[in-house]
Amino acid sequence: MSLIIKNLYKSFQDINLFQDFNIEIQEHTIACILGPSGCGKTSLLNMISGSLQPDSGDLLGFNSKTISYIFQEPRLLPWKTVLENIVYVLPDSISKKEKHEIALRYSELVELTDFNNYYPSKLSGGMKQRVSIARAFSYPSDLILMDEPLKALDLKLKLNLMKSFRRLWQPDKRSVIFVTHDIDEALLIGNDIYVFSKAPVLIKEKFSIKNKDRLLPSPEIIQLKNRIVDVME
Amino acid sequence: MKNPILKTRLTSFISILLLLSLWKIASIIYNSELILPSPESTIFATLKLLISENFIQIIGATIFRGLIGFTLSFILGVSLGILAGTNILFEAFLKPILISIRSTPIISLILLALIWFKVDLVAVFIAFLTMFPFICTNVIDGIKSVDKDIIEMSRVHQVGKFKIIKEVFLPAITPFIFSGASSALGFGWRAVIIGEVLSQPKFGIGTLMQTAQTYLLVNEVIAWTIIAVLISYLFELIIRKIEKAIVIWK
Repeated sequence: MSLIIKNLYKSFQDINLFQDFNIEIQEHTIACILGPSGCGKTSLLNMISGSLQPDSGDLLGFNSKTISYIFQEPRLLPWKTVLENIVYVLPDSISKKEKHEIALRYSELVELTDFNNYYPSKLSGGMKQRVSIARAFSYPSDLILMDEPLKALDLKLKLNLMKSFRRLWQPDKRSVIFVTHDIDEALLIGNDIYVFSKAPVLIKEKFSIKNKDRLLPSPEIIQLKNRIVDVME
Repeated sequence: MKNPILKTRLTSFISILLLLSLWKIASIIYNSELILPSPESTIFATLKLLISENFIQIIGATIFRGLIGFTLSFILGVSLGILAGTNILFEAFLKPILISIRSTPIISLILLALIWFKVDLVAVFIAFLTMFPFICTNVIDGIKSVDKDIIEMSRVHQVGKFKIIKEVFLPAITPFIFSGASSALGFGWRAVIIGEVLSQPKFGIGTLMQTAQTYLLVNEVIAWTIIAVLISYLFELIIRKIEKAIVIWK
């Protein structure tokens, strides 16, 4: 099964973001969308999540999907603790006790157990983003959308968060669409990397990475990185 | 001195001490209990009032009027504020009303209230009208301060409307309600007492102030003033205490 977007059109004022745009995304993989700022990556995610309507076009296979979203900012409720923030999004069909257990499990997976009862104002930027990653995974979704969630963080935190992310994703293998303008992030996380052009968007090229554990300095990855840089220019 | 809290406390204490000494000096210069009584005689008059007959009844009546006015303006202010904060049309409707109430001189309201209402109701009505715009405006601002991004996040994760109101909107406006309530009461107590001075209900700080002024008992006028300030301060403290107990996430 795959997720397909066909003949998508979307414009804002005079800018055509998408003009007969097509993409096919494999399920249960991490699809990275790599493109310059302002090319419409966030709009694409918003159309997938349903918070933005396309001018025309078909989104196939998305209808039945429940979605969780990791935003650029953590978007936590200031008056809720780490655990309460995770519990907040869980559907009411889940019992109170079970919600609590789910929240405990995911906060442990992102190594925040010691901070379960902290309010966001007492957490660092990286910790807050870890809560938002835990929140997205704890939500029973089929698809996780990520909109440059690492943008505001320094390199060490980035690597740390990607490790948390991988640890959550590995046993779970949910479909993920990860949007970024940073090649290194794409290389560290993505299974498939789609390189987007400027608006109106075209897919310049698609790269696939097979190996699971990757280190930025490995020769293979460096080679790939150089190829992607070429394509992006 | 290393302790910063102690340092600020000491500075405030010095400020009060300075005020009292200026008062003392002025009273020595005037040398007339009729025009400006000394601080000691005023404090003595205050203590005398505290143990006087009917004291509890008098301040009780004033506090009661203030609290009824406050409760009315709180209920109406919060509910209309939520409506106006979430509905642009209703805000456009409410805004001119709020502005008119706020810019009307209190004395005009009192003069009209004296004609329209029974004596006991005048101060309540005035208190209500002074406090209502504060609470209402604050609630509107609070609703507008709600983070749109959090609402979007909630919608994507299919959080229900009722849950969003209860767990996002209400906590978000809580600090605004408290700051609205605190400034409202600050003005409210003054309004109640002005109302009482002019409407002369049987019991009330304003009534007694007016009587003391008629008999030129200046120390008693100031003594009632001190009591009014203390009441206002006490309620400010109570509001801050409740706020601290509820708004624990800051």
